[in-house]
Amino acid sequence: MAENGKISGLQLMVLTFLYTIGTTVLVIPAGLAATAKQDAWLGAIAGVLIGTVVIGLYMGLLTVYPGLSFVNICRSALGKWVGTALGVIYMCYAFIGASTVLFYVGNFFKTQFIPHTPLWCTIMLFAVVVAMGARLGLETIARASELMLPWFLMLFVLLVLTLVPAAKSANVLPVFEVGWKPIFSAGLSFAGTAYMPMVFLFSVLPHVKAPEKTKIGMYVSALLGGVCVILVTLFCILILGPNITGRSMYPSYALVKKINIGNFLQRVEAILAGLWFITTYVKTTFYYYAGVRSLSEILGLKQYKVVTLPCAMAVVVFSLVVYPDVVYMQYWDSIIFPPYIILLGVVIPLLLWIIGLAKQNSQQEPSTSTQNQLDKGS
Amino acid sequence: MMWSLAGVVVLSGFFAALELPSLKGQKKERWTFWLLLILSTGLGMAYVSKLTIPNPLELIAFIFKPIGYWLHNVLPPAK
Repeated sequence: MAENGKISGLQLMVLTFLYTIGTTVLVIPAGLAATAKQDAWLGAIAGVLIGTVVIGLYMGLLTVYPGLSFVNICRSALGKWVGTALGVIYMCYAFIGASTVLFYVGNFFKTQFIPHTPLWCTIMLFAVVVAMGARLGLETIARASELMLPWFLMLFVLLVLTLVPAAKSANVLPVFEVGWKPIFSAGLSFAGTAYMPMVFLFSVLPHVKAPEKTKIGMYVSALLGGVCVILVTLFCILILGPNITGRSMYPSYALVKKINIGNFLQRVEAILAGLWFITTYVKTTFYYYAGVRSLSEILGLKQYKVVTLPCAMAVVVFSLVVYPDVVYMQYWDSIIFPPYIILLGVVIPLLLWIIGLAKQNSQQEPSTSTQNQLDKGS
Repeated sequence: MMWSLAGVVVLSGFFAALELPSLKGQKKERWTFWLLLILSTGLGMAYVSKLTIPNPLELIAFIFKPIGYWLHNVLPPAK
């Protein structure tokens, strides 16, 4: 597998941070507020806690199968054929994920910015950038996200600071009125959107220098990303109130429209849209990158670039097909998505981890076997 | 519609022109590329001719619908 260079632990941290925020920041406050009302922010905190456990599981998977991509993990755990079949399922999941996120982008553009431009134009433009990133390789993506990070942080801090004067503390009261069930449910949907798709970072982890040392870093950056989303959710509740938040399609976008400093600094919502494009770009690229990487590994190709362009076209077509309308999108995301992502993001990795542990224990010299796996993987 | 069909073909031609020079002597890669390109061009053409393309989410929804509703009932949203 030809790959240009490796990325550093710091770059992985930046990627994880942006990946966590991903689509979550714009879309998830609505779902949280619809489920947990004024306790949506507690739901977000619960989501981060669930996410910590999920990342712990992935780190465990990384320890048991060092230096292997997800397809190779499946193969080494389940044998060639079953493992490859599971790899195919994950590949489809990656491409479907890329398609759905592209639809999110196109839908946001169409409803908020350029209503007269056909959906396929915006989706195609975004897909071109995504495919370009995937073709240029991991190092390029990592450096690009390093360049985008300061902008992201600066704008995010600016937004949060300008939002503070409008906050009304009465909106969050009474705290913990809804009980633990809705909060847990909201947390599950948060973790499902932000943390469980991180299983795709396994297409990246083999190309990180010393992945063992970056475990803490991944934890920290994923938690920081979670904190950003908690802050946005909290401000949505504090400023818009739970009802408007739950009813809007893009509550954080509606939220930023409220910014008004001395009747002078107004209508800065394009900043939030810009932030969202940065993080969504990282997320889409990773879905897509994981998809093409898995495809080329399943087929045993020498370089994954071959499949990027045709797959980009297929992904664009599917992104126009996957959600026929927004009602179907809401239904799919709230009813079908949670069990689906829990199976693919938690249950199967957990099984693979247990199988890996069992295999490690049954072997007489675990240290040498790990070394062999590392040599094979890199 | 003729124009959109032509657009899809031109796009795939552009992809081929972009990718093929780097694939000299790699038989398997060439085959994969052509196969995928034909598949995705077919998909694109089917889309612009407004044919019904099966939605992969429908399949996932079919599998996960019962457990999804069960989960929704076990952990209901606040009233």
